[in-house]
Amino acid sequence: MEVDEYRMSLDLWLEEHQTTLRPDPDATRTLDGQVDHLAKVKRLCYEAGWMRWGWPPRVGGLGGSTLLRAYLGEALTSRDLVAPGIYSMTEVLAPTIIDYAPPPLAADMVPRLLRGEETWCQGFSEPGTGSNLAALSCRARRSDDTWVVTGQKVWTSLAQYADRCVLLTRTGTTESAHKGITALFVDMDSPGIVVRTIETMHGAPEFCEVFFDEVVVPADRTLGEEGHGWSVAMDLLPFERSTALWHRAAHLHRRLQSLLEAVPEDRLDPAAVGEVAQLVYTLRARSRATQYRLAAGDRLGPETSIDKVLMATAEQAVFDLVVDGLGPALALGDDPDSERWRREFLYSRAATIYGGTAEVQRNIIARRLLDLGSDR
Amino acid sequence: MEDDDRELLERSLRRAMESHSGAALDIALDELGWPEALSVEPRTAVSVLFELQGAAHADSSAMGAVLSSALGLQAGRAADVVLPPLGQWHAPGQKVGGDLVICGLGTTSLVDRVTATVVARVGDNDLALEVATADLTIRTVQGIDPSLGLVEVSGDSVPHGAPRQLPPIAWPEAIALARIAAGHELVGAARSMLELARQHALDRVQFGRPISSFQAIRHRLADTLVAIEAADAALDSAWEVRSTQAAAMAKAQAGRSARTAARHCQQVLAGIGFTTEHDLHLFVRRILVLDELFGAARALTRNLGAELLTTRKLPPLPPL
Repeated sequence: MEVDEYRMSLDLWLEEHQTTLRPDPDATRTLDGQVDHLAKVKRLCYEAGWMRWGWPPRVGGLGGSTLLRAYLGEALTSRDLVAPGIYSMTEVLAPTIIDYAPPPLAADMVPRLLRGEETWCQGFSEPGTGSNLAALSCRARRSDDTWVVTGQKVWTSLAQYADRCVLLTRTGTTESAHKGITALFVDMDSPGIVVRTIETMHGAPEFCEVFFDEVVVPADRTLGEEGHGWSVAMDLLPFERSTALWHRAAHLHRRLQSLLEAVPEDRLDPAAVGEVAQLVYTLRARSRATQYRLAAGDRLGPETSIDKVLMATAEQAVFDLVVDGLGPALALGDDPDSERWRREFLYSRAATIYGGTAEVQRNIIARRLLDLGSDR
Repeated sequence: MEDDDRELLERSLRRAMESHSGAALDIALDELGWPEALSVEPRTAVSVLFELQGAAHADSSAMGAVLSSALGLQAGRAADVVLPPLGQWHAPGQKVGGDLVICGLGTTSLVDRVTATVVARVGDNDLALEVATADLTIRTVQGIDPSLGLVEVSGDSVPHGAPRQLPPIAWPEAIALARIAAGHELVGAARSMLELARQHALDRVQFGRPISSFQAIRHRLADTLVAIEAADAALDSAWEVRSTQAAAMAKAQAGRSARTAARHCQQVLAGIGFTTEHDLHLFVRRILVLDELFGAARALTRNLGAELLTTRKLPPLPPL
């Protein structure tokens, strides 16, 4: 299936099924509603085949270029059919399982994620481990054919809904840093796991604390080799900064377009509008090139930190412009539109924090792309 | 063009710019077949040449050739096209009471020509007119960047040959191509500034360590690279879309990025970068002129914003 053909047939299908696919505005005011709706859209897209294109046949996919996946996410987010953040978790977690899980496990699990039957989460950050990921301390102890996990994760998006977790654990000594990390694929209904949601500034319990108390994980749930969890994490992060980001950029384009349609005359400075439009355009141009590199089989690496910096900059610029253009509505409005602008503005403040802070991205660029050596 | 051919062109152009600039570089470009490449493979010819030219701080008359080629005029050594005045993008000629009045810029080679082509806006038409350079007032510009070799061209009631009417879209499209070319030159200059600052950061030791180890320095240089890559992506996209709007956005992005690069790199180079003993100032000067050429980032950005607030429709990106 070629991209053009896929695009044309998908666009037609989305047009035909728009009443079924369109979220109920009332129901999707809450995160529960958004997660439910996402599951429904994924199921429908899977059943119609759209969700299977671009994934390898060994995990239930229909093959074809990764550009097909990129377009599906773009089509869904730019039509406002799904929330981009939670949709794109598939793009981050499925490739990790495909690349690192034992093949039978991947074949069993990935289709569940694709067809919206399951939600997965990503257990990376810890209370003492934000930017300094290699210092993580959630411990996994080997006991015969199992791992026994004890520790705590935080900022774990969607953990309260999740059926599985891609979990980074400490299996070496505390001093082993990135050399002593092992990635595990954990069932979230295992005894000993407690999830506590955290209410965010934008009014959704989007992420969680997750506590592990002597949680038993079978050894065949190891992703990659013991002690090689760091490379699993490093391979996952570029996905967060490629396909997921392409979807986010499509969403930003859509919201900036909505702002242009909604803003009262003479409220916005043309220079500011021009600059934000350029930022979004440039982000999409860069991200589009990254999609082509991914599709050509290139291994994505530190250069995707540039994409992330551009995304965070553009996202905050878009919503700063929203404040400039729709300030009174954003401040006082209690109608659904105002509530949504407000929620998205508040959420945009996190763009320079999640998925590696603005500072961490610049550290990566300095070290890996500019070859500036150590920062000590 | 095959990758091999592109590499070959790049290598020969790079070598030519190591030893030549100005008129000598024009001759070298002719010998290398760059004008032919421009008509056959404009994307490769323009992007490779202008990025190298910006990086090498070289100058040539290639910008005149780009306009000439985009307007479908006779390219090569015979005639030069007059560029718009600095900061502007309207046609440099107009008719005032039946007289041809010219106000614009020229590249180095214009001085040596017998004739030049001027595009004049007359009523709703753009006309290409041949004029004798002897009938023009030509001032060699010193300004902030004397090495750029620009000349200011003016004249009142200039005699001209038979007018050739251009298609309505020809001038805007020629400006679009010239903006992309200037954008690549800005990116090249910004990359050179970044390399100068990067090397200095690695070499310069303070408090017992290279200043490249300080986060404040690293982040300035990282931001510079982000700005450059953003401009590069916008330029690539402008080649694919080939719309005047995309070209204007790419030029604006490139101008802004180059000024960001100049600010950060100047700060990282500190004292030495403030002297004429170091090359940085050459690039700082050049990008200020290049940013203004065919419309500065600030003007293009404001125009885009005003247009978007009227149409209320964002520019499209090429589909995946």
